[in-house]
Amino acid sequence: MAATPIPLEVHNIKKRFGDTEVLKGLSLSAHKGDVITLIGASGSGKSTFLRCMNLLEQPDEGELLVHGESVRFKQAKHGREPADWKQVVRMRARLSMVFQSFNLWAHMTLLENVIEAPVHVLGKPKKEAVEHARELLARVGLAKHADYYPAQMSGGQQQRGAIARALAMDPEVMLFDEPTSALDPELVGDVLRVMRDLADEGRTMIVVTHEMAFARDVSSQVIYLHQGVVEEAGAPGEVLDNPRSERLRQFLAPKH
Amino acid sequence: MDALLERLEGLLADNSIFTLQTLSYYGEGLVTTVQLVFLSLVIGLVAAVPLAIGRGARRPWIKWPIFAYTYVFRGTPLLVQLYLIYYGVVFVEGIQESWLWVILEEPFVPALIAFTLNTAAYTTEIFHGAIKATPRGEIEAARAYGMSRALMLRRIVLPSAFRRALPAYGNEVIFMLHASAIASVVTIMDLTGAARFVYARFYAPFDAFLFVAAIYLCLTFAILYLFRWLEKRLLAHLKPAGG
Amino acid sequence: MIDLHGYGPRLAEGALITVELALLSLLLAIVLGLVTASAKMSRSRVAHGIGTLYTTIIRGVPDLVLMMLLFFGGQMGVNLITDALYDRFGIDIFININEFVAGVVTIGLIFGAYMGETFRGAFLAVDSGQIEAGRAYGMGPWLVFRRIRFPQMMRHALPGLSNNWMVLLKTTALVSVIGLSDMVRVASEASKATREPFTFMIIVAAIYLLIASVSEWTFARLQKRYSIGYGEVD
Repeated sequence: MAATPIPLEVHNIKKRFGDTEVLKGLSLSAHKGDVITLIGASGSGKSTFLRCMNLLEQPDEGELLVHGESVRFKQAKHGREPADWKQVVRMRARLSMVFQSFNLWAHMTLLENVIEAPVHVLGKPKKEAVEHARELLARVGLAKHADYYPAQMSGGQQQRGAIARALAMDPEVMLFDEPTSALDPELVGDVLRVMRDLADEGRTMIVVTHEMAFARDVSSQVIYLHQGVVEEAGAPGEVLDNPRSERLRQFLAPKH
Repeated sequence: MDALLERLEGLLADNSIFTLQTLSYYGEGLVTTVQLVFLSLVIGLVAAVPLAIGRGARRPWIKWPIFAYTYVFRGTPLLVQLYLIYYGVVFVEGIQESWLWVILEEPFVPALIAFTLNTAAYTTEIFHGAIKATPRGEIEAARAYGMSRALMLRRIVLPSAFRRALPAYGNEVIFMLHASAIASVVTIMDLTGAARFVYARFYAPFDAFLFVAAIYLCLTFAILYLFRWLEKRLLAHLKPAGG
Repeated sequence: MIDLHGYGPRLAEGALITVELALLSLLLAIVLGLVTASAKMSRSRVAHGIGTLYTTIIRGVPDLVLMMLLFFGGQMGVNLITDALYDRFGIDIFININEFVAGVVTIGLIFGAYMGETFRGAFLAVDSGQIEAGRAYGMGPWLVFRRIRFPQMMRHALPGLSNNWMVLLKTTALVSVIGLSDMVRVASEASKATREPFTFMIIVAAIYLLIASVSEWTFARLQKRYSIGYGEVD
């Protein structure tokens, strides 16, 4: 069988901030169609781990393979950094990230946000990009909001817009960094619904989240991090319903 | 003192430009600059307080003339204002025969008038902005306690506005120090005037102007530190509580 | 009609020189300001040090003193170089520093320092998440600068830029002191010759106010353009 490369693999990622080691050798491989959720208390390193995957943070050690291509590093004055930024740019274009605080570009309309990277990074013709963007906006329920600026939309709308922006890159893997944490409770549902649809259609996703119901229903694998180490990992049924460690049991216990 | 002068003379022995004579020009220039800047700032400051209050008045016949004054004086170069007042005074018919000429013959007075009018305009706007920025709650509280408008202005609004205006006023002081260099244009021997004199006499632009630039730099830093110190003392209450 | 004693055309030429001088200096100041801001934000210690030294000195010394230093000193510096060229290589050239060029260079150099501070503050005011989103979508540093940092920075920089421009405009009056025939110099000569300072100085003041008002209007429109997407436009 012709092996299609694994979309994203990371091996033994270590990261220090000053004297504190926040990631102590983490590995993960996301095969096509996987939905991996990373859970853990704040400070467990889950967001940092995600940010290392597209090199928004530079891991001090470890290997990173995107679509089978290993990212090359070199030793610099302030630690390790990528040897070839062109390679990083190419690899980031295959992964697209959805941020906790949306980070839609404030000076552009929603439509301009969605076509920005396809046109200027991937070099897609503008007309084609606009057509595709309109389809995506319709999918996330924002067809009428194409000409709105981010500040004119609710948090939930902005986050769905940000997901459309991520989809416009035709990414191999989508990275979600606590996509619902900055939202008012009544707006969370719409965003989760869009994410469930994406999982159903077989998108490869890595999601940092506090939404346990989402983790249970949607993911193929759940990873529980504690102080930069994988404490438990496995199918959601195993990890979430039969936690082995006391710590995870407490983490999952209903709060008060 | 004599010993000090002697040592200075020894130090300057090999230097043809910085003799005691030229240094004394710079010294007198420094005195003139400081006098000019200090006097115009003080008079301007005193004038700016009522003007700033009037600038925020509701009555148009108080508000608009003050606005027109600040707009014109902030919108045109100080050099033009200086020329206008200096030539304006000099060319008045018969002034050179009158008793007033004793005072006005010195360009110091027209320069002082121009500088004062200029800084008063800027300071008025600075205070006006600071008064406008008074938190509404403070005004409401003062009203609720039965303060009259005048009392409220004197006890609540102005004290807090002065503190808020401090950083901007510090910039204005430095601005005036630098602006005062144009006094030399109307033949006043201020610091820059001294430098121009030394330049013209020895044809040594670097020595003449670099030296005076260094003096201005020191003065600027002195003002900067003075205001930083004032801000620390007067604005301490605005800092979040330590801990 | 006001009697200008035949100074009308020269005054108009002077006004044109003032405007040209101001616009060219502004251009130079913006370029220098962007360079200075980058230097002061860079990780290189040397670049940071040079940037800080430049802004400190410029902001600590009067414009007029800097102008005289550069104009008179600059001429002497050029003379020293051309003399050396003649002595060593027998090349005989004479370069006369033109007042207009000296004016543009000095004013540009002075306001480059102020613009540097304005731009630095504005760049730092751009939300880091906006830049991160660009990087996460595969944009290189230049693309991030062109598409995200610069347009977003401009919104924060415009008030300072407008302020600097207003001060710069008034600073152009100083070139009359080093001998450039801008409108202030023409008016000053006319005042002395005709003994009617009010006529000429008030005309010049009115022209400055006119330019300032037009600029204010222009900057308000620019601000509107760069504030697109931030709710409060007014």
